[in-house]
This record gives sequence, structure tokens and C-alpha cells, in this order.
Amino acid sequence: MAIDTEPVDRSRRFFEDGFSIGRFEITSDDFWGWLTILPVLALYTLIALIPIGFAILASLHNVPLLNPEWEFVGLSNYVEVFQLDRFWGSMWRGGVFMVGSTIIQLAVGVWMALVINKLTRGSRLLSTLVFTSYLIPTIIVTMMFLFMLDPYDGVLHAAGVRLGIWEGFLLGNTSLSMGAVILISSWKFSAFVTLFTLAQLQSIPDRFYEAAKVSGATTWEMFRDITLPRIFGAILVVIFLRAVFMFNKYDIIWQLTQGGPGSATTTMPILAYTETFDANAYGLGNAVAIVMFLFLLVSGILYLKYANPSQEVQT
Amino acid sequence: MSTERDSDTFGRSFRISHTYRSVAYKLGLYGSAAVLVAILGFPIYWMAQNAFKTRLGIQEGITFLPSAETFTVEQFEIIFNPTVGRYLLNSFIVTAGVVITVIVVSLIAGYGLARFDYKHKVKTARFLLLGYMFSPIVLAIPLYLIWDTLGLLNRYVGLILALSAVSMPFAVWLMWKYIQTIPESMEESAWVAGASRWRGFRDVIVPQTKPAMIANSVFAFAIAWGDFTFAHILMPDNEATTFPPGIFRLFHSSWETGWAEFMAVSLLVSLPPLLFAFFLQSYLLQGFKIRAL
Repeated sequence: MAIDTEPVDRSRRFFEDGFSIGRFEITSDDFWGWLTILPVLALYTLIALIPIGFAILASLHNVPLLNPEWEFVGLSNYVEVFQLDRFWGSMWRGGVFMVGSTIIQLAVGVWMALVINKLTRGSRLLSTLVFTSYLIPTIIVTMMFLFMLDPYDGVLHAAGVRLGIWEGFLLGNTSLSMGAVILISSWKFSAFVTLFTLAQLQSIPDRFYEAAKVSGATTWEMFRDITLPRIFGAILVVIFLRAVFMFNKYDIIWQLTQGGPGSATTTMPILAYTETFDANAYGLGNAVAIVMFLFLLVSGILYLKYANPSQEVQT
Repeated sequence: MSTERDSDTFGRSFRISHTYRSVAYKLGLYGSAAVLVAILGFPIYWMAQNAFKTRLGIQEGITFLPSAETFTVEQFEIIFNPTVGRYLLNSFIVTAGVVITVIVVSLIAGYGLARFDYKHKVKTARFLLLGYMFSPIVLAIPLYLIWDTLGLLNRYVGLILALSAVSMPFAVWLMWKYIQTIPESMEESAWVAGASRWRGFRDVIVPQTKPAMIANSVFAFAIAWGDFTFAHILMPDNEATTFPPGIFRLFHSSWETGWAEFMAVSLLVSLPPLLFAFFLQSYLLQGFKIRAL
């Protein structure tokens, strides 16, 4: 009996008292709390913080990828980046891609969420499709659209040519390829906006609408005065998340066009990749990545400061 | 008398305009639904129906269903192709590794966040969410040389670690918020009955977090199964790479493989997401509710 309970008692006692190292008091909550979050922090440090530090270091060196001998060059990589015409071009195109696809995703996504929320029959079919487009791998989306746009066997290609919108391979068209990439990525990523908004819509209590109905409000008035203010905070958050994700987007653009034709769809992530792995300038590629990261950090902080979405979401 | 007539006319005019309005509303609602189903469904339908056509059937021209002569299932044999099979196997291993890592680590960290009141707790959790700001490409480019030095390039472990870290911040938040909804008294009664903290966690908390675990594993699955950027850069060898970069390479290198085969293997790869979308959507929406907090 005594043997049985003693270890439990001892652990309980340690558990309640905590201990101290020198002047630092460490309560048991501190000890166990930090211990439980330690694996996450370790992963985070290994995959996010160390690489960022490493990239800053590499961006100050000249590193040929095939023969990694580091030669310290100071800030000259950054000077070179800012002098590259293709850097400013890619920044502009990245901005176009980010703003264009965020606006389309926001419009379609919120529309879709409102429709699913109001549907009484058949909403399961639509929401299954929405979840599918969210969960499906990007490469599958690319394959589907490349097939549908194929100049020989593609159904969208045939339709577009018949209607006189484009000729030849759509993604090979210098002036239309950016628009096409924006639309295809919106097909994939609007679902995120929908699900985010739908989750917020479903958490609005029904009694608000019942009360409004009793006092004779129309559907439009209910939308304007109950729904819109309630989802506004979520929309501010989702604009922020989508803009960040689209600015960082590499995979779908690379799969569809590899930044081409020419440099018509070369955004900043694409430029960072090609400078690193195609031009073998590892230091320069890292400098592009760091510039991208800083640009995002500054605009993110500004957005959070002026739009302040976190306060809106509290409601 | 007058009030009665007033209310009467009011009622009638209201009813008429209400009818018109509700017809317009219904038209708008179901019209929108039809348009959205068409836009979202068409590419998937197109992929699915062309997966069952012969190569000649695709080349002969655009048809909306395979006919009796062009129908075949032999395109699905592409998964027995050693290269494609290898890609799929690698994807399975990496995805399983990521899902298991994410579930275990998020359970422990979520429990700690919910039950221990330690210094800088909320700040630490917020700091994790900053992970959203890092572009996969910004992380993958430096990781390439780091993994090269550590010998983790082309190894499953390297990719599993990277993808787990990417899925982690949100998974931890979800688990934290979920465990907070489980009353602490349930655990306390287990302790009173003589259970240790660990037993209480294992037998009381873990079984109740099933919905959050399901949501976390599906989100982690989606990230690992669909990841292109990390696998493309960290798994440069053809033997080691996962399905997305693998099929991308095959698409750009091989003229032997036809559209029908690509559609067949695409359909197979998108089956698990389709099934999850159909059967687990309520869990996933719950996950998004917490994400919106």
C-alpha cells in the first residue's frame, strides 16, 4: 500500500511546489508549460528562424551553388538586386498577382459563403465541392487546367478560340497569361475565403434574425445590419491572410508557366527560385528572398496597425 | 374601423412586394448556386470523364462522356509504372509522417497551453502564428543548403520536419482552444481517484479531442499531400521525390505519357481529398471556426 502511493505523492508534491535556480523562481506551471511547448518551438526554430538567419548570412556572400565556397561581399548582393530590371518588374507583377487574385477570391469567396449559408437544399453538394477545391493538391488543379487549355485536345481552349477571346495556347500568350494564372489560382484558393467566412456566418445566433423578422426587416436590411457587421472583422483578417499567401505563392505559378512566357508571370518568389537554382547565384537568390520577407513584414505590420482586424474579431 | 383598414392595406401591399422580393431572392440564390456548382464542378468532372477514355478517344475530339468504343480503365495502370508508383509511395510515407508528428506534438502543446498558466504563454502562441508570414520559397531556399550540410537532402525526415513545422502553428491553436472547452473538473475527478497527471491526460483528455484531432490531421494531410515547393527543392532526386514534383517532372520530360493517363492518376490522387470533403466537412468547418478566433 505504502509502496503503491508514495511515487504518486512525490510527483504531486513536485508538481505543486516547483523549484528555483538561483534567483529565478520557476513554478511548476512554468516548468511543465514550457516543456510541453518545447517540441513546437524547436521545430519552429529549425524550420523558420534558423533558415531566415542563414538566408541573411548567405545574402552577404557570393555563393556559387555548385561549388559552395563562401566569399564575403557585404551588401553588394542587395545593391545588385535593386539594380536588376527584372527585380522591379517581378515586384510589379507580384503586386498585380497579389491584388488581382485577392480581390477575385474575396468577391467569389464571400458570395459563395453567403449562398451556402442560405441554401436549404443542395448545400451539401456545393460545400463538398468547396472543400474539395480547398483540399485537392495544387498540382492536380494545374493538370486539370493545362489539359483543358491544351491547344489540341482542350475544351476551354476550343471554347475560348471559338468565342474569339484568344488564339493559340492561352498560357503562352504574353498579355493574357497573367490574367489566366490569376483566374486559375482563384479557382483553387477562393475556398479558403468561403470557409473562413462561412464559419463566422454560422456563429451568428439565429435569434438576431428572428428579432429582425418580427420587427419587419427585409432580407437586405437583415444582411446590412446583422450579417455584414458580424463578418466584417473576419473579412479584414481573410484579406490579410490571402494577400500574404498570394504574395508568397510559388507553386501554382511555377507549375502553370514557370514564370513565362518571357517573364510575363515572373513574380518575386519565381525570381528568387530562378536566381538561386537556374542562375546558380545562391547569395543573390537569398537576397531576393530576404527583400521579399522584409517587404511583407513591413506591409503586414502597417496593415495590422491601420486595419486592426484582431479588435474586430473579438465580437 | 380605420385602423383595421390601414392594417389591411398594409398587409396586402406587404404581401405582394414580399412575394416579388422572395421570387427574386430565390432566383438569385439558386441561380448563384447553379453557377458556382458549374464553375467548381466542371474541371473535376472533366478530369474524371477523361480518365476513362482511350488515348485515341481524347485525340478524336471533345466529347462530354466516353462512348462505348473509347471507354477504358486501362489508363489506371499508370500507378504500376515504377516511377509513378515510387512517387506515390514517397508521398504516402511523407504524409503519414507529417500527420503523426502534427497530431502528437499539437496534442502535447495544446494541453500545455490550455492547462498550465506559464509566463509569456499567449505571447508565445501569437509568435507561432507569425509563421504564416514566411513564404515556403523563402524557407526552402536556405533549407536546401542547410539540409545539404546536415545530409538531410533527399531524406524523408527532412521533408517531414519541414512540412510538420508549416502545419504546426494552426494545429496547436486549434488543439489549445479545443481542450479549453473540456471542463477541468473531469480531469480533477480522475486525479482524486488516484490517476496521475499523465493518466488523466491519456484517458480523459485525449479521447475527447477526437474532433480536433480529425480536423488537424485532415489539414496536415492537405499540406503534406499537396506540397510542391518544399518537396521540389528538398527532394531533388527522382527516386526520393513525392508525387507533386514527380508528376510535374514527368509531364515536362515524357512525351510517351498521354493526357488520359495523367487524368487517371490525378483522379486517384484527388480521391482522398474528395472523400474527406464529403464525410468530414463538419469537423473541418469547426476547425475554421477556431481559426477565425
